[in-house]
Amino acid sequence: MRSYLELKNIDKSFATKKDSKTALKNINLQIKKNEFLTILGPSGCGKSTLLKIIAGFSRADKGQLLKNKKQIKGPGLDRIMLFQDFEQLFPWQKVIDNVAFAVKAVAKNEKQKLNNAQIKEKALKYLSEVKLENYQNYYPHQLSGGMKQRVALARTLAAEGEIMLMDEPFGSVDSQTRQELQQLLVQLWQEEERTIIFVTHDIREAVFLSERIVLMKNEPGEILEVVKNKIPRPRNRSSGEFNLLFERLQSQLKN
Amino acid sequence: MKNKYQQRLIWISVLALIWQLTALSGTFSKMIFPGLDQIFMALIESFKDGTLIKQIAFSLSIIIQGLSLATAAALILALTAYFSKNAAGLIDTLTALAHPLPGIALMPLILIWFGSGRTAILIVIIHSVLWPLILNLSTGFNSIPDIYTLIAKNYRLNKLEFMFKILIPASLPYFISGLKIAWARSWRALISAEMLFGAINSLGGLGWYIFQKRVFFDLPGVFAGIIVIIVIGVTVEDFIFKKLEAKTVKKWGMLK
Repeated sequence: MRSYLELKNIDKSFATKKDSKTALKNINLQIKKNEFLTILGPSGCGKSTLLKIIAGFSRADKGQLLKNKKQIKGPGLDRIMLFQDFEQLFPWQKVIDNVAFAVKAVAKNEKQKLNNAQIKEKALKYLSEVKLENYQNYYPHQLSGGMKQRVALARTLAAEGEIMLMDEPFGSVDSQTRQELQQLLVQLWQEEERTIIFVTHDIREAVFLSERIVLMKNEPGEILEVVKNKIPRPRNRSSGEFNLLFERLQSQLKN
Repeated sequence: MKNKYQQRLIWISVLALIWQLTALSGTFSKMIFPGLDQIFMALIESFKDGTLIKQIAFSLSIIIQGLSLATAAALILALTAYFSKNAAGLIDTLTALAHPLPGIALMPLILIWFGSGRTAILIVIIHSVLWPLILNLSTGFNSIPDIYTLIAKNYRLNKLEFMFKILIPASLPYFISGLKIAWARSWRALISAEMLFGAINSLGGLGWYIFQKRVFFDLPGVFAGIIVIIVIGVTVEDFIFKKLEAKTVKKWGMLK
């Protein structure tokens, strides 16, 4: 297995009033290019903290984060985060401009000169990938929660980063919408060459989405096991093998 | 909305009627309690001979200048405070000291340092609005969601881009409510400052206009001036700011 993104001996603790609490302990993980990886664990297991370290928002106390054998420090457009919070869209910008925000940021970072028409065209392309091109002139507050997350997903795609980091992005929408969004995400991942690291506490979500599942436990946050998910796509949520893997993961998380 | 203005119109008519009846009853001398007819005659005459127009233009030009300067200064100071902890301490201290101080209290000092006239009025206006604007802007800047700063880092915005693309639009509701306070306070400060040191070549703004009318015991003229002051105040508050909100924060769903 050729590793692309590598986490080596990552430790992270937070200071509390009296002492310090270990959030992550000795995390070692190798991630392949273009793989769909989920990090699954109960709340408080440090999975979001781990994602923040990969994003560069937060610094590990110890250990290294490597991409193509090179150490990375700080945030970058190659690792774009998709959050759970609906607030991640800018309410003062139309849907299309929210997506264009990413297009402009990338163009500037790569010192490309794009005119307004080119920016719009690119933004529209990603907006139609999440099937919201008809809503380009709406403002975010006029959209439902699921649609807001789709716009945010379009913005994340528009950054054209190799790695997309997702922190329970579908955690605040109803289960029907959630399944639609999962379906859409898998489809997009199959069409585009992207590496996705997806944090969730929903076992079914992890089984549906990913190729490998990193199981974590809390206090301290450690990796229990990395489980391969070989269920062929399209995955059927009620199939036997789906439920088998679900039950296996569930019993492992219980212990 | 319409209902509110209809109600207002009805009540204004009722109050005007009571006023006129009181004036006609002869309880008070016409010198100190003029009828509406006299007041409107004075208003029309002052408009006709151009004095009132000139005074309005003078007052508005000063207040626009004062508000623009104060807004620019407040933006610069609040942004500096947002990005630098040391500056924040200083600006916070200055605001805490200067904010409770009424502009009127500074007038003797301003008179000695700057003399009377336009500069003096401008300084009173700036003082009356700079501090509340800084307070509002700082509150706005500090209450933007944390997620925005993460996004700014993630998309590698520099400080300038962060300021104009995120920080300022995200705190616009606070900015606009700060401007409303600023307008209300500066309009009051302007009128009183003009009364104290308005006139240069008989041009001293609406405050000065009222003051002069009082000197000549021209009460209809005083009331005409007061009516103009009310009308301008209400127009700006009810129409200009309402429109500004409707076109921005309301449209964006940032204000319920």
